[in-house]
Amino acid sequence: MAMKPTTHWMRFAVALLAGPVMFAAGPVKLLNVSYDPTRELYQDINAAFARQWKAKTGVDVEISQSHGGSGKQARSVIDGLQADVVTLALAYDIDSIAEHAHLLPANWQTRLPNNSAPYTSTIVFLVRHGNPKHIGDWDDLVRPGVSVIAPNPKSSGGARWAYLAAWGYGLKKNNGDDKKAQQFVTRLYRNVPVLDSGARGSTTTFAQRGIGDVLLDWENEAFLALDELGKDKVEVVTPSVSILAEPPVAVVDRVAAKHGTTQVAKAYIEFLYSGEGQEIGARHFYRPRSPEVAAKYASRFAHVQLFTIDEVFGGWQKAQKRHFDDGGVFDQIYLEGK
Amino acid sequence: MFHRRFYEARAKGRAARAFFPPRIARGAMWFGLALTVLLVPAWAQSPDQQTATQAAAQTTDQKLEQLQQKVDELDQAVKVAQRKQELAEEAAAEKAKTEATVTADTSGFTIRSPGGNYLLKIGADLQLDNRTYFGTGAGSDIDSLVARRVRPTFSGTIYKYIDFMFRPDFGQGTTAIYDAYAQLNYLAWANLRVGKFKPPVGLERLQSDDDTTFNERGLPSDLGPQRDIGYQLSADLFKRRANYAVGVFNGVPDASIGTDTAVSDHRDYAARIFLTPFLPDEGVLQGLGFGFGASGGNTDGEALPAFKTFGQQPFFTFASGVTAAGHRTRLDPQAYYYLGSFGLLAEYALNEEGFQKSGVRREIAFRAYQAEVSYILTGEKKSFASPTPRKPFDPLHGGWGAWELAARVGDWEAEKGIYSYGLASSSTSPRHLHEWVGGVNCYLNRLFKVAADYGKTDFGGGAVNSNKLPERIILLRFQINFI
Repeated sequence: MAMKPTTHWMRFAVALLAGPVMFAAGPVKLLNVSYDPTRELYQDINAAFARQWKAKTGVDVEISQSHGGSGKQARSVIDGLQADVVTLALAYDIDSIAEHAHLLPANWQTRLPNNSAPYTSTIVFLVRHGNPKHIGDWDDLVRPGVSVIAPNPKSSGGARWAYLAAWGYGLKKNNGDDKKAQQFVTRLYRNVPVLDSGARGSTTTFAQRGIGDVLLDWENEAFLALDELGKDKVEVVTPSVSILAEPPVAVVDRVAAKHGTTQVAKAYIEFLYSGEGQEIGARHFYRPRSPEVAAKYASRFAHVQLFTIDEVFGGWQKAQKRHFDDGGVFDQIYLEGK
Repeated sequence: MFHRRFYEARAKGRAARAFFPPRIARGAMWFGLALTVLLVPAWAQSPDQQTATQAAAQTTDQKLEQLQQKVDELDQAVKVAQRKQELAEEAAAEKAKTEATVTADTSGFTIRSPGGNYLLKIGADLQLDNRTYFGTGAGSDIDSLVARRVRPTFSGTIYKYIDFMFRPDFGQGTTAIYDAYAQLNYLAWANLRVGKFKPPVGLERLQSDDDTTFNERGLPSDLGPQRDIGYQLSADLFKRRANYAVGVFNGVPDASIGTDTAVSDHRDYAARIFLTPFLPDEGVLQGLGFGFGASGGNTDGEALPAFKTFGQQPFFTFASGVTAAGHRTRLDPQAYYYLGSFGLLAEYALNEEGFQKSGVRREIAFRAYQAEVSYILTGEKKSFASPTPRKPFDPLHGGWGAWELAARVGDWEAEKGIYSYGLASSSTSPRHLHEWVGGVNCYLNRLFKVAADYGKTDFGGGAVNSNKLPERIILLRFQINFI
């Protein structure tokens, strides 16, 4: 039976109207743009949050992850990568997004507790089994013949923390003598044969390619490598002094608003502060903020004297400008080292 | 018993030889002997000798340790070099994802974004003509070297779906914009073009000037629009078996590029359908194409058309006081056929155009046709586009480019009324032209072409004085084109 033209047009109109409705009823999609070693952490966080969000609202949420060197990731967001949420290695990178792309307000860091850093970490050493070069503290890294693997501070957030940790140690050892601290860090980077662009790349260089005697690494990344490679291959050495790394998180307001995901994006990063979120972080060797969870997982984390970037360097803006901007101290010492 | 042992031992020996090749077996024997020679004196050593031996062993150990250290260092150095190479390759791959590529080759100079969504091509169309006229040499038909076309070309793509083209011309002492348009290619069946470009009417006009078989187009192109400003929808359909184009334009006089502004509220409507029904693998008719172009509009306020010979000489002058006014219709049946190196192109143009003199409007019919035939001697395939030489010009290495012979016959005619209505004078303007052209083309490579044409145009239809002596010309062209 032939269809009447009016019926045909009505069906067309219904399809046209129903399309967006059906689309709107699909899962909410978020993109979390993060730094290099958080892949495994956010796989677990995403699954847990999706379950919780579904139970709470009845809506499915699909969270995609993007990983890379923290500075590189920030540049991608500035250049248009549609991140609803950023979880980067350091506040300076999110500041850059706020400053250059105006995608979130300048005071983003005050919107959540603990400077918007739901977990912390620090820089430790990963050495080969048996610690054949007898590496125990920062001084051992500047010895001739010790090969140190570290990523490039120009592109990696973890590398910047590692560099500043070494500088802080240099200052402490030399009673605050800045020049001697610089000499110390120069000697250290002279022992670095390869600069990877991110922490995960450095782990590959050290663990899979068998290069170097010691890897300067995020604590969580070092323990992950220990788990994966086995205690018969590598060991974690915690130095006497290191830096309190505070990887921050933020909703990218304008992108989330454009996608209509502001509410779920906020809930997502707040979930990181929840008991479950903190537990997941601790299981992945991120130091929890929650005192209860921290007490529960205290045995996982070695005692180390930690200093903050504000205490020693006056905050990220100053540290970035002096050490990591083009022509900064890192450029000078790395060229000098070469 | 002895024999049994002997055979057993011999059998074992064979088995051992099977396991250890003779060279290794011999090596083991000599090693055993050497060990014996070395060890026997050691047993017989004095305490001093033993100390010396221990010292020597220690030195050997140290040397071995040093050697091991050097091997380790070398191993690290190799691994570091390999890793650096790996990182450099990763960085290059990453760079390739985000950085534009710049290429310079036979298709011109190109800047392309990763993924090709943004593209800029810089090209050029340069033609230097040497015109040699035979005959009186009177008037403007003087022998000359002419920069016929000097056209830098900027074309490309933005936002993936939008192509653009900008091509001015600085040839013959003038500056004019020939092409300036953008084309939205979002729908495969309807590409929208906006700007200044060739309206879809004449076949040879739509052929790029660097692809035409002869140095100047045939007489039907005298009766069609050259460039105009407007909108056009066009597309290839049915696996390129058909192409359609429809458009609305300001309207320009015949063979004109217009003034880039409209001269009246009227618009020209143009349409063309062209069929190539046989796909490339569908036998001897695969090179057949035929179609029909047409336009209609109003000529009010337009300039009068200026018709030119093959030698680019104006041959027709309207009478004083004549203006363009009224309706204009252009009809243009057209076809080509290519088979191997052989090519045939034919086109007919029929126009009816309105003119006015002393308040009286008349419509005059113009007709023109051409038929051209060509053959590429060096075996390349003839098509609507220029051939690519199998062996670019390089005589020392056996390359002579592609050589082509071609001939064309054409005719142009205005109806008799053009005299009787007083729109032109039979004593100054012929109303009939007949031309034939023979040519040799040498495509030295994809970019450079040298072409020599001999053309003869006879004039007729008017009074004795307007039927001037035939125009005979040798037109030599040097052409560089990359786009």
